[in-house]
Formats: sequence, structure tokens, C-alpha cells
Amino acid sequence: MSDIPTPERHPDIPSRRRQELAALGGPWLEALTASAVAIVLTDALLPDDPILHVNPAFEALTGYPAAEALGRNCRFLQPEPAETEARARIREALATDAPVTADLLNRRRDGERFWNRISIATIRDGHGAPAFRLATQADVSSEYADDPAARELRASRRSLAEVQERLRVVQSVAGAAGAWEWDIASKRLVADARFASIYGLDAATAASGLPTAAFFAAVHEEDRMRLRIAVAGALHGAEVFARDYRVVVDGEIRWVAARGRTYLDAAERPLRFAGVLTDITDQRKVEERLHIAQTAGEVGSFEYVAGYGTAEVSEQFCRLLGLRPAQSLPVRTINALVHPEDPALIQNRDGRISSGTASHEFRITRADTGEERWLASRGEYRAGLAGGTIFTGVIYDITTTKRSEAALRLLTEKLEERVEERTQERDRLWNLSRDLLNVIGPDGRLRAVNPAWTRLLGHDEAELIGTSIEALTHPEDAATARSHLAHLLHGEAIAEFDIRMRTKGGDPRWVSWTVVPEGGAIYGIGRDVTQRKLLEDQLRQSQKMEAVGQLTGGIAHDFNNMLTGILGGIDMVRRRVSQGRLDDVDRFLEAAMQSGQRAAALTHRLLAFSRRQTLDSRPLDVAVLVRSIEDLLRRTLGEQIELVIDMGPDLWSAVADDNQLESAILNLAINSRDAMPDGGRLTIGGRNVHLSATDLAHSDRGEAGDYVEIRVADTGLGMPADVLAKAFDPFYTTKPQGQGTGLGLSMVYGFIQQSRGDVMIESREGSGTTIRLFLPRHHGAPDETPAKPRAAALPGTGETVLVIEDDPAVRLLVLQVLQELGYRAIETADERDAVPILQSARHLDLLISDVGLPGMSGRRLAEIARASRPGLPVLFMTGYAREAADQAQFLDAGMEIITKPFAVDELGQRVNRILRTKGMAGPSSE
Amino acid sequence: MSDHVVPLEEMERDALTELVNIGVSRAAASLRKMAGQQVLLSVPSLEVVTRGGAATLIRERESGDLVAVRQDFEGVFSGRALLIFPESNSMALVRAVAGSALSDAEAAEMEDEALTETGNVVLNSCLATMANMLQRPLTMSLPQVVRGNGVGLFELMQVSTEEGGVVLFLYINFAINDRDIRGYIAMLMDLPSLQALRLLITEFIRRVIGDEV
Ligand SMILES: Cc1cc2nc3c(=O)[nH]c(=O)nc-3n(C[C@H](O)[C@H](O)[C@H](O)COP(=O)(O)O)c2cc1C
Repeated sequence: MSDIPTPERHPDIPSRRRQELAALGGPWLEALTASAVAIVLTDALLPDDPILHVNPAFEALTGYPAAEALGRNCRFLQPEPAETEARARIREALATDAPVTADLLNRRRDGERFWNRISIATIRDGHGAPAFRLATQADVSSEYADDPAARELRASRRSLAEVQERLRVVQSVAGAAGAWEWDIASKRLVADARFASIYGLDAATAASGLPTAAFFAAVHEEDRMRLRIAVAGALHGAEVFARDYRVVVDGEIRWVAARGRTYLDAAERPLRFAGVLTDITDQRKVEERLHIAQTAGEVGSFEYVAGYGTAEVSEQFCRLLGLRPAQSLPVRTINALVHPEDPALIQNRDGRISSGTASHEFRITRADTGEERWLASRGEYRAGLAGGTIFTGVIYDITTTKRSEAALRLLTEKLEERVEERTQERDRLWNLSRDLLNVIGPDGRLRAVNPAWTRLLGHDEAELIGTSIEALTHPEDAATARSHLAHLLHGEAIAEFDIRMRTKGGDPRWVSWTVVPEGGAIYGIGRDVTQRKLLEDQLRQSQKMEAVGQLTGGIAHDFNNMLTGILGGIDMVRRRVSQGRLDDVDRFLEAAMQSGQRAAALTHRLLAFSRRQTLDSRPLDVAVLVRSIEDLLRRTLGEQIELVIDMGPDLWSAVADDNQLESAILNLAINSRDAMPDGGRLTIGGRNVHLSATDLAHSDRGEAGDYVEIRVADTGLGMPADVLAKAFDPFYTTKPQGQGTGLGLSMVYGFIQQSRGDVMIESREGSGTTIRLFLPRHHGAPDETPAKPRAAALPGTGETVLVIEDDPAVRLLVLQVLQELGYRAIETADERDAVPILQSARHLDLLISDVGLPGMSGRRLAEIARASRPGLPVLFMTGYAREAADQAQFLDAGMEIITKPFAVDELGQRVNRILRTKGMAGPSSE
Repeated sequence: MSDHVVPLEEMERDALTELVNIGVSRAAASLRKMAGQQVLLSVPSLEVVTRGGAATLIRERESGDLVAVRQDFEGVFSGRALLIFPESNSMALVRAVAGSALSDAEAAEMEDEALTETGNVVLNSCLATMANMLQRPLTMSLPQVVRGNGVGLFELMQVSTEEGGVVLFLYINFAINDRDIRGYIAMLMDLPSLQALRLLITEFIRRVIGDEV
């Protein structure tokens, strides 16, 4: 691990920003990421520019995998906390969002240091606000080389030579240089101890004189020839002698610099050749390294003394400009190659600047090829020894860097363009959209709306902004809107919902909303679906009409059959009675009764399907219930079908109407039987399950939670998909026309839905059908099911019963029954007759009332009765009453309900039981 | 196409450089006597280029006007030699050679004369030394002062032979009383002449090496 000082981390950069960038960048970002240019992207919206993105080239350059870089500020690459000019410059630039290029000493993950040339650009969003920063990085260490060399690099060759010369002077003063004197006439060489030591000669012999051949003896073979030629020149009168060459002593190679003069006699003939010899091995090494560095790094050096027309230059300098190698070049020649718009290469001709460093970049047109290149110059001003300001500098080619910078700039511009474009696109979308677009603040009030709002709903923008969304919703949907809003404000995404919005004129418009909460606000898109809703309604209506037609037809057919049975039976009885033949009257009455009961069953099923039956839902034990009908089931199924009852252990108690549940199971069993003409197996299972909201997506009223599952599975024919799809359709039947009204499955469905449960059906042609009924769990023990008294009614003892019934036939029947049973019955048709009696002092033991009366409802009358006679027992009669569908809610203590049609016996038993219970409970009401 | 032609071998260039060095040293000795001042001349390096290359060389190095002293030579190798100074340096040279006590007007009056004399000394010494060292006689024309820019000067260097020829281009440092004056010696020759010069140089090398030093 690296020992980077702990950087501030921002581990929680919202992925949204990254997505935003990805969305903005798109293919651009991919392309850039894939390129060999190291890239860093930072988030300008967060403090201290945390990294959002780095590309593989960056990872390769720094050795840090993206995961380690994300969220940090780039300065984690800096090995030292020390302030530098470059850092200050970056800080300044970032403060004003200006672009900046700087070289910083950085450290790779493995600890290695490198010079990092960073070019940072700020990317602005559509409003010109800084959004991201983009930087490229390049390793430019070669321009810095290692430190001593780097310093030398900045000096020109000439100044290096100067240093060496000075060094030589110092050396000779200090006795470090050797001296020789060559007498041309006598061909003798005299050298001092230092010379002798460099040449590996004996000091004493050298001092006393040697043959001149000694001058070449120790010289490296490769240099000897050229040295001889140079010496020949000197011996023949060339006055200036300067040569660097190698000497080999004991196998060790040393570089020496020999500088000499030829002294002439009066007749201009060469007399002696004398000079000094310095060991330059070390300098030479530096020089060589420098040379290699300069050549390899393609760095040219130059030196310019203010005011002069020429500059001293290195070979590489000339090469970079495409000029022929020279040691000195006119300033005009050099500067003429520089692009007219760019700063001159050689500056400070007037000598105004006397100290400090300088660097600049410029384009040149190469003198040889005419090619345009980018060069950078860096250097330092200093005072010359002989006065005047000397600029010592280097130049190097930065074309590649410039090109990637240009590419970067282009890309940045493109990105900005894209942002701009996208913003415009978005604006266009916002303005032109036919959909309602809006932003809702955390307070539930509209913050922004698009013009579609005004077009659709008529309110203008000023009216809308700041208005709560609820106030704009149709009153019937306000609660829905409020609950959605509450969820959204908690950050829960709601995919879609339809509510009615209110136009300025008050009309409702159906709007289908897609809403996303983000960053505290809610963004909504609403589509006007009024037209669609209307069509849907119409469609539903017409479907309903068609269904009603079908149903009416089916019911009429069945009813006519039943009525034929009833009317025919009664008619036959009447004839027999008039003829005095009473022997077979019972047969016809029995037939009439059966038809009547079938008619009653049919209406019951109709009500069940319409989920308007009167359900007596109470806690029950499903296992007990199934076992109680086991015998009945076996008889119904016949011998060919095996019945398996599989009740899980510790089954919860469920809430349902036990009678209805029995008949539902029976119905399903009969369906199964019919699906297994050749026999098979019917399994009725039970177990505890937990259903989620998604499981219950199709349920009308089911809520997530615990359920008791009743599974009815057969091994029968199964259903093809198209039949399965319509299995619960109320009027769909697989049975031939006239054989049934097709209410079987749909009745089950209606009952279960009304019981706040759910039904699921699975079936495949040829592999049976499984139907699962889910009933809500009852928390607590099941009630003790009261034993149903089946005994015949006992005769009454003269108790007074008030009957309120508007249907004279029913009233007649009820009165007849009561009187036959020995009760005193008071007959009323509605509240006009009944209320005075109820409010009088007359003794009453029981009130029997129809629920659906023309004026005041039976329930209301019961309340009036209870006001003066608390505890008066009430028995309601109802054929159908919406409000009585849930008995538990409808009835108070001491109230009961009996559904029409009822058998005479049934009524008698109920009245009997009520009055007996009352008798045990306490005195009758007065 | 390279401006360099028939590159002489390193050794040959060394040798030729030394020959010119000996020559300019002689010239310096003469100038010392003429001017009574400390004069040192040296030739650090030499290049062989085409005529066009020579024009580029001088143009790149000298953007101002030039002044040159021209002399033709004939012998085993023939051609035309020029001693070139930047115009801006010529007055300094005149003063150095003709004495610093001269007034501006006097110096201007003497300029061509002084230049001719200097050129004559330098070029003569060089060519004579070469001829001497190479042990071949050369005859030389009278010196002539010409002015112009780089291109013009080399245009002036028309030689009899048509195929352009080559230029031996030498840098020359004048150190007169510690004042640095730069200049150039250009020797325009045809190819056969260069070939002949080359043979002579080889001979010289062999002699030097074989010398009982
Ligand atoms: C986009 C971007 C990229 C950067 N890349 C680097 C980098 O590679 N190396 C580095 O040392 N600094 C980099 N920096 C600079 C530092 O993050 C920081 O701005 C700089 O050190 C100056 O601030 P400071 O003095 O507070 O550290 C980058 C900055 C930005 C905005």
C-alpha cells in the first residue's frame, strides 16, 4: 500500500451525477475514455472537485485503479504538501474557471515520482455555470530529467563550456591541470607531475624531457590519428590548439582536454607548442548524459545576450527549427520562423528584463520542410559576467501535447455544445409537449409547469405556481392524490396512476401520471387520457349491456322454467281441489316448491356474483368446515373420484361466511367432478400463506398480509388458455346454452372478493385444474359456531310482534306464520303506520321489519324503536340490501337478519329462538 | 535532397581544417604586424556543401547585408575563394586592422581598402599554405570587394564549370584585441578540383602520420 496522506474522500457522489455525465457525454465520453490520453473528470458542483471519472490511460499513468481515485481530489497524487507555484496557479485558475496547464511533481501508486503535465478545462452547463472539470495528464518527466542534469539542461552548451573553462582554471590554479611544453626544434616533450600522472608517465622522467612520441603513446587508439593531425597543424604554425581526447592508463580510460598555443620565433617559424591538460572525465560524463538527454529528449538549448543580433545555439536547437546545425544564429533568422501571432522565440532584445524565469509556447514553420510545429521555450534570465542580461533557455517540441490539448478543447466545446443543445432540446420539449410537465416542491406545491397545463386545464402559469396539487385534483380523487404525494415525498417511486384533474371551469379531466421523486422534488409527466377513459367507460358500459342481455336471457329462461313448475303445480293443485281429488295434490305442490327453491338459489347466485349478497363473515376453522362437508362431497363426487383432504397443521382461523364457503367448495368440487368424467383425484388442501401486494395485484380489496389458502385441485381435463382467460367471466359457461347461467366460478370469485380475499386459478389442458381461495386470516381464536337449531318451531305463547313489510304478499305470509305459531302480530306497511306504535306505550316483544322500505329504512325504524325500547329484539328481512351486505357492520346487538326467500319453518324457528333467548336474557321491553 | 555532398571523411576534414588553421594563423601573424595589435585567427570547423546549401547556410546565419573579399585561384584544384563578414562587423575589422585612432569618416573612406588588404592576407595565407602543405603551386587573382546578401554573393560565384560545384564552408573566428568578429571562408570548387584536393589531403595525412614526430 502507498503511504499517501489521508485525503478527503467523498464516497457518496450521487450516481445521478455520473449518470448525468454519461448522458451528456454519451459516445463522446466513451471515445475519450478509450483513447490513450489520460483523462480525469471532476465534479465542479461539489466542494473541492472530487473525481467522478478516470479512464484506463489515467489508471496506467498513475497506477491507481479508478475505484481508488473516485471521490478524491486529484491532489492525492502529489507526494508533498509543499506549496508550489504550479499549485497556486491551478487554484487561481479554478477559482475563475479559467483553463490552465501546469506541470506538477506527482507520485504513482508504486511510489515512483513523475512530472505530470495537467491541462484543466471547465465544462459549463447550459446556463454557463461550471458543471464538470476535465483534465488530461501526460508524463513529461523527460523534460525534467534528473535534477543535476535538469539544471545543466537549462544551460546552453556554451555556458556549460564556460563552466568547464572556469573549472579548468580553478583546477590549474589548484594544481589539478598538467602542463606540457613541446620543443619543436629538439623534438623533446617536457611535462609536469600532473601531466605525467594523467598520462601514466614517471614524473621525474617527464620533468626531464621525453621523446615527443610520448605525447601520443597513452592516447586512445581511436583518437590518436586525429590528435596527430591537430598537433601537425600546431607544429606547422596553426596557433590555436584545442582538442579533447581519451588516454588509456592501466586499462582505465580518462577524457582529457588539451588546450595549447604555438609560439613562433621572430621569423614566424614555429618554436614551441605548449599547453595545459585537464582531466575532464567527470564533466565529459555529464556532458555526454546531457547530450543524450538533449538528443533523446529533443531538447535544444540556446543562450542570448540582450542587445546582440545573434544567439548561441545547440545542434538540437537548429534541428528543432529545421535549420542547419550552427553554434550561433541571428535572432532574426530564428524569430522569422515563429508564427506571426505567437510570441517570439528569442525575447528581451532590449534587455528590459534582467532576472527571473520565463516560458512560452509558439508555433514555428520548419525552415527545411515548412511543417508547422508547436514548441515551448523555458529559461532563465541572469546577469552576465561582462554585464548585460543573459537568457539561457531550452526549446522542445510540444506538438503532440498541443494536439491533444486542442482535441481536448474541441471535445470540451463539443460537450458544452451538447449540453447547450440538450438544454435547448429540453426547453423545446418542455414548451411544446402536449403532456403536462411539472415540478412539485417538497411542500406539495407546484414549482414549475409547462404551457400544456394552461392548454389543458385553462389555469395560467401564475395561478398554478405555488398551488397545491391537491387543490387542482377532482374532489373524488383528492384523497388518492394526497396519498400518492405522501409516498412520493418519502422517496417512493410510483410508476403510474390515473386521477382526475380539475379544469378552471371545474370539469374533470382524466390525467395519467408518471411521477419520479428526485432530490426532494417531484417530477411529473401527465397525459390527458380523458378521451381514453371515456371510450373505456363506453366500452365497459356496452360490454355490461351485452352481459346484462346475456344474463337476462339466461335468467329469463331459467325463471320461466321454474315459474312453469310453480304456476303449473299450483294450477294442477287448484284443479284437483275443485274436483275434490286430493290424493296426488302433494306431488304437484312438491314440484312447485322445488321450482321455487331453484328460483331462490338462482337469485342468490346472482347476488353473490354481484358481490351483493348478505354475508355473515365470522372467524372460522377451515379444516373443521371442510371435514363437516366431507361426507356430502364424497356423495357428490361418486365412487370414481378419490377425495384427498390435506389440511396443514396449525391452520390459522379465517374470516368468511361459512355457508357461502361451503357452497363455494361444493361448487368447485362439482366443476372438478364434471372435468373428470373418467374418474380421478380431487384434493382439497389448506395451509397458511403470506401474500404481498404484488401477489394481490388482481384482487379488488385484498391487502398484503396473512391468508389461509384453500386449494381445490383435480386431475381432470384442464382448460385451454382461452377458456382459462374467461373462467371468472360472470356469464361465461362451458355448458351448453340453457343448461346454466354460468355463474359457478364467478360466484365463487364474487364471494371471495367480497370477503377481502383472492382467487387464483391454474390450469393446463390435459393436466388438471387447481383453484386456490385465499381468505384473510383472523387474528385470534375462531368463534364457537353456534349450533344451528334444526328442530321444528315451538309454538309461541302470545308474544306481541310488530311486522313492517310493504309487500302485501310477504306481509300476509309472515302474519299467517306468526299467528299459526301462536304469536300476536301487528301489521304495518311502512313508517307512517309503524312509528306511532313504536313510540306508544304498547307492549312489544319483537320487531320484524323489511330493510328496504319505501320511506324510512328498516334500520332507521329499528333505531327509533330502540330509542324508547332499548334491547327490543329486531329481525330484519331482506331480499337484497346493499347496506346489509356486511352483517357485522349492519347489526347491533339483539338484531338479526333473515334473507328472502325463506321457508315458513325457517322464519318460525328464528322468531322462536329470538324470543326464547330474550326471555332468558331479561324482562321484555315495555 | 541533402545539401551536403561528397562528405569528406572525418580525418580528411580534420586535416583540411588544420591546413586552413595553419593558413589563418599565418594570416594572423601578418595582420598582427600590419595592425600592431593582438590578432588571433582560428577555424573551428568546416563543411562541404552545395552552392545552394552554402546560400542557405549564410542566409540562416546572417540576416543582414554581407561584405566579402573575393579571389579566384587556379592550380591542381581551381575555384573561387571568399572571405565573408557581416556588413555590421566590417567597420570593426577596419578599425582593428587600420588602427582605432581613425575617425568614422576616415574609417569609412578606408573601408574597402582595409577589407581588400585583410581579405588578401587571409585568403592568400590560406591558399598558399594549402598549396605549400600539399606541395602544389596555385596562382591567385587580385582580391575584389563585393557586397550583397547571402544568395547574391553565391550567385556571384559563377565558375567556369557548369555543374555548380561544391563549397568548402569554413567558420573563422577573429579575435582582435579580445574583440570577437565572426566571418566565413567559402571556397567554391568544381568536383574534379575537390577530388584532386582530396587526394592531396590523403597524401598529407600519410606524411604527417609517417612523420618522425
Ligand atoms: C480536473 C482536475 C484534474 C487535476 N489533476 C491533477 C493531477 O493529475 N495531479 C495533481 O497533482 N493535481 C491535479 N489537480 C490539481 C489539484 O486537484 C488541486 O487543484 C491543486 O493541487 C491545487 O489546489 P491545492 O493547492 O489546494 O492542492 C487537478 C485538478 C482538477 C480540477
